[in-house]
Amino acid sequence: MQLSNQAPMMKRMKFRIRANKFAKFLFMLSAFFGLGVLAVLFYQVFSQGFQFINWQFLTGKLSTQPERAGIMGAILGTFWLMLVVAPVTMFLGVGTAIFLEMYAKKGRLVGLIQTNIANLAGVPSIVYGILGLTVFVRLLDLGSVVLAGGLTMSLLILPIVIVASQEAIRAIPSQMSEGSYGLGATKWQTIQRIILPAALPGILTGAILSLSRAIGETAPLVVIGIPALLIPFPGGILDRFTVLPMQIYYWTLDSSLVAEYANLASATIIVLLITLFMLNSSAIIIRNKFQKNY
Amino acid sequence: MKLNKVLLFMIIAAFAVIMAACGTDKNKEEENSSSDNNSSADATGKEDQEKTATLEGSVSIDGSGTVYPLMARIAEEYMTSEQENVSVEVSRAGTSAGFKKFLVENGTDFNDASRQIKDEEAAEAEKLGIEVKELKVALDGLTFVINKDNDWAKEMTPEQLISIFLADGGVEKWSDINPEWPDEKINAMGPNENHGTYEFFYEKILDKQDMNSSVNLQQEYSTLVKLVSEDKNGIAFFGFGYYVNNKDKLQAVHVDFGNGPVEPALETIAEDGDYADFTRPVFTYLNVDHAKEKPQVLDYAIYVMNNINQFAGETGFAPIPEDQVKDNVSFLEGLK
Repeated sequence: MQLSNQAPMMKRMKFRIRANKFAKFLFMLSAFFGLGVLAVLFYQVFSQGFQFINWQFLTGKLSTQPERAGIMGAILGTFWLMLVVAPVTMFLGVGTAIFLEMYAKKGRLVGLIQTNIANLAGVPSIVYGILGLTVFVRLLDLGSVVLAGGLTMSLLILPIVIVASQEAIRAIPSQMSEGSYGLGATKWQTIQRIILPAALPGILTGAILSLSRAIGETAPLVVIGIPALLIPFPGGILDRFTVLPMQIYYWTLDSSLVAEYANLASATIIVLLITLFMLNSSAIIIRNKFQKNY
Repeated sequence: MKLNKVLLFMIIAAFAVIMAACGTDKNKEEENSSSDNNSSADATGKEDQEKTATLEGSVSIDGSGTVYPLMARIAEEYMTSEQENVSVEVSRAGTSAGFKKFLVENGTDFNDASRQIKDEEAAEAEKLGIEVKELKVALDGLTFVINKDNDWAKEMTPEQLISIFLADGGVEKWSDINPEWPDEKINAMGPNENHGTYEFFYEKILDKQDMNSSVNLQQEYSTLVKLVSEDKNGIAFFGFGYYVNNKDKLQAVHVDFGNGPVEPALETIAEDGDYADFTRPVFTYLNVDHAKEKPQVLDYAIYVMNNINQFAGETGFAPIPEDQVKDNVSFLEGLK
């Protein structure tokens, strides 16, 4: 026995079913588009650059001659840069978030700060470069050293860290802090013992993701003035430096002068990508491992 | 617990940074104290050099992207075979941008330039009390490149070339130059206003007449190479070095200055060579006060002049006459 007459029903639904199928296909396509582009990039970069990664390339000094060039200087530069960026952004970013979420009274001032932070997150990175050049390199007379670059990068990613930390703090149910207050704890005690431990996974995830943005950023450093050729390794935060993405930038530009530079750029991209993947996966691991549901 | 660990990590990281900073400070002090002893680069080149003293510190160079390959090559050689503890930092913001970093208090030590210093830049130097020494380092030939498949425009006169780029040159198609050539639009290209090469082309070749607004001006030389190599009707101009490294993708227009077509080559772009009309000198400008204060800067300047002609050809530049080298070396030796 038939419950309904299928034929006229199908006739009426035909268009809707088709539209549904089309929509599904369309969205699937857009989901796979990014993946496809990534695959093409991977294939191109790996097939071109992988053979050039060897011990000498990873540990050697920079050189104008492709067969002698190594990127240890850029790796160390990136490392020193992160050593400045990480503590500075963590302190300033989390500090700002705590102030805004825990201490500040909701009012016009906070609203103003809040809007500005959101706006700052959208400012192009090259503008931060100009800021860094004016304030750190020229005004404080640091020169184009790791410290100046690091502080500039910190400014760049600070809004992201603040917003991520605020979200993390806001996600903690209010019962928890209220319980703490109820037991007579001060605000600082509550922040220290309840809020920060609970918000930490979210804060760290945001911080690590923004750090990987700082690692891959070139524009601010181009403005600050990173030398195209810098052979000695940086030994501290007051040394001049270069970083991995800058080297990719210069080698790609110069590949019209020396064709082999393109291979060096590809190999450097692989090194940079691996670094970024390690950072990003550590962010995911931290999130999955420490995330609690209340 | 977890929070404490993270805090601990952050504290350790902060300490590491602070200690590193202190370490560098000490290094800097040592540098300063040990940098008064002087050394002299031997005038006869690097074969018979006995190092009298090792120098330390840094030398900062900025300026032209055209001159960069040559200066970077020399800087590397200096650091690997001459003074290992001196850090020569070579940047390339462009000639004009470089002068802005050069003509300030505590500016760069050298500024590479693909054109001569402008009057207002020289006035700025005077205002700041900076003594500037112009050092001619090499010769570069302005090269016009066309697509490999272009078999008609291989030889042209300067007037024909200029007419392509002029606003009122009256040339749009190849057939406007020569009726036998294809009836197709010419796609003219070149480097944009940030480049000394553009300024040289506009001021010296076009004689400051308006450039055709349809000329595609690009920031990167690599873009120009790519565009012309893919466009049968493309024509572009840039420094000889960029042509010589892309000979497999491009061909150079042989220019007929009146005595038959001349191919741009290291021999022809030399001083008094057959291509000399399209040849320009490239420079590096030295802050003389820095050279007097910092022995490594002076030592490096002398090294550059003594070895410049050896590396010029390798990087696509023609060497400058020996007597000009000697003049500059004796000037620099006089600063000691």
